[in-house]
Amino acid sequence: MSELLKVSDLRVRYPVAGGMASVLDRNRRSHVDVVHGVSLNIERGETLAIVGESGSGKTTLAMALCGLAPVLGGEVRFDGMALSKNKDGYLQPDRRRIALMLQDPVGSLSPRMTVRKLLGEPFRIYPELSDDPDRSALEVLSMVGLSADFADRYPHQLSGGQARRVGLARALAQKPDLLIADEPTAGLDVSIQGEVLNLLSDLQQELGLGIMIITHNLNVVRHVAEQMAIMYLGRFLEQGLSELVFQRPRHPYTAALLAANPSTNPDAVPKRIDLTGEVPSLLQRPNGCEFHTRCPRVQAECRERFPDRESINGKQAWNCFHALP
Amino acid sequence: MTAPVLDIRDLSVSYDTDRGLLRALRNINIPISPGRIVGIVGESGCGKSTLISAIIRLLAPNAQIDGGSILFKENDLLALDPEAMRALRGVEISMVFQDPMTSLNPVMTIGRQMTDIQYRDNRSKAEKLARATRLLERVGIADPAEQLNRYPHHLSGGMRQRVAIAMALMTEPALLIADEPTTALDATLEVQIIHRLQQLQRDFGCAILFISHHLGVIAELCDEVVVMYAGEIVESGATRDVFLTPRHPYTRKLLECDPARIEKATRNLPVIAGKLPDLVDLPDGCVFRTRCDVSIELCASERPPLEGGDHCTACHVTGQ
Repeated sequence: MSELLKVSDLRVRYPVAGGMASVLDRNRRSHVDVVHGVSLNIERGETLAIVGESGSGKTTLAMALCGLAPVLGGEVRFDGMALSKNKDGYLQPDRRRIALMLQDPVGSLSPRMTVRKLLGEPFRIYPELSDDPDRSALEVLSMVGLSADFADRYPHQLSGGQARRVGLARALAQKPDLLIADEPTAGLDVSIQGEVLNLLSDLQQELGLGIMIITHNLNVVRHVAEQMAIMYLGRFLEQGLSELVFQRPRHPYTAALLAANPSTNPDAVPKRIDLTGEVPSLLQRPNGCEFHTRCPRVQAECRERFPDRESINGKQAWNCFHALP
Repeated sequence: MTAPVLDIRDLSVSYDTDRGLLRALRNINIPISPGRIVGIVGESGCGKSTLISAIIRLLAPNAQIDGGSILFKENDLLALDPEAMRALRGVEISMVFQDPMTSLNPVMTIGRQMTDIQYRDNRSKAEKLARATRLLERVGIADPAEQLNRYPHHLSGGMRQRVAIAMALMTEPALLIADEPTTALDATLEVQIIHRLQQLQRDFGCAILFISHHLGVIAELCDEVVVMYAGEIVESGATRDVFLTPRHPYTRKLLECDPARIEKATRNLPVIAGKLPDLVDLPDGCVFRTRCDVSIELCASERPPLEGGDHCTACHVTGQ
């Protein structure tokens, strides 16, 4: 396998308007670090899952990689080449080669265009991809398992699952090397969720895509992703081979997440790890390890500095002074 | 058994569309006893949202009630005049929505919002604030008095949802409707909300109607579960019975499809083949027939009745 995407210490910072006082006094202007030093690798044909709750920075990371959010620092290499930034700090990837499948399936499709037109657009933007945009649009439509009947429908005439398939078809139309799928199954029912995920896996095998999948559904991660990363307040607290992480989580947050996953067996006696306290605001990022305010294993040093990375042969890595054995 | 706090009887609702009458709910029966937590599961399009809208009488203008009644404390909600209905909403029947960021007003402090919704009460502002503080404490928010001065964006997702729950419980309603309240949260916060709801249910004694398509959450939280498919109830009963010995082929498939149940990692997840029937042009017989593995001739001609006492199923084959 060959390396497709390599991200080193990526940072995204947004300014925060602090009301009238900050307009009058420039020194009072503040900011939030939404992505706070993230590193990752994705190889061709491989899936990386990014897990974390809403607000942990998953979507911002995806947007930054697509050149839709300004980058404060760090390096991104795509297919061996470092991506340049424009003067405002946005990365400038080849947008044909990195496709983004947005979270809201209906909202991300123009309501005034038919499916045929929506799917023909990538071919009009990149004429080198096809001589006949209409025919190619129908081809990608059948690739995601929708019949030609759907070509003349408008987005509001599609169900959630169908709209997702159209979103996926549109992302695939541009023949990307990397697909970033932001919550591709959120709001979908279990049976349709299976369909969308199987489709992603099949197409990945066929086309050799690298996939970055953003989700907060742990049950999905175990089945579709070789690699996973646990994101919390803009940082990866733990990352590595999904198999290893599920088997033996090292970071207390990962352990709590895995233990919290509710089971469909009503007789199951869950071994929960109780977390106390609230998720801190990004505006008041805690000192030291961000997780210390809720961590059951917290010690004095956790409040003072962020722990260094520890890893086993690069297959699983975590940042914690008091990792689980 | 005590009289149900909410008793949905033989409810049918349809929408008037360009293509004809879309029959969104057909002959729904759900009794909810006081203090019980009842979960509704089903895929999108099965009628969950129509059902909630019918209960709180906020159906879309093109909807019509084809029959049945919704008894709340023995009064038919469908027969109430708008004035009387408004007096119930948010007082006797409260609701928690899916996304707390959009259900809370972003430009008002938590305290302002929590006192505003007490507009019906003839109390001083200080009393209203004190009540808001008490409620925030009950839902497990640290430093409640301090939080009243903050705006929704200052709070984390889990806190916002607990504020929404506190607001819904402010009037000690007899029925709380929760529409997928944990979808936006990570697993640790999800179980936190579930346990908080269980605790609050015990303290306040209200009944909860909990809508979700997360099967694990339903299994952990609810006493009873109702499985809906294409506008009908296909199975209902105690959560334990339905999850451990599912009877309807649809329930069985739904459970089989849940990736959490599949021990070994697989790239080939099970799915339910086929698609939902067209609700404008309903097929004869059983609605699930076209996707079912065990259907017999009878299924094509006759709609199976929902039968079976405490654990009901609507199936000609597995229902016996």
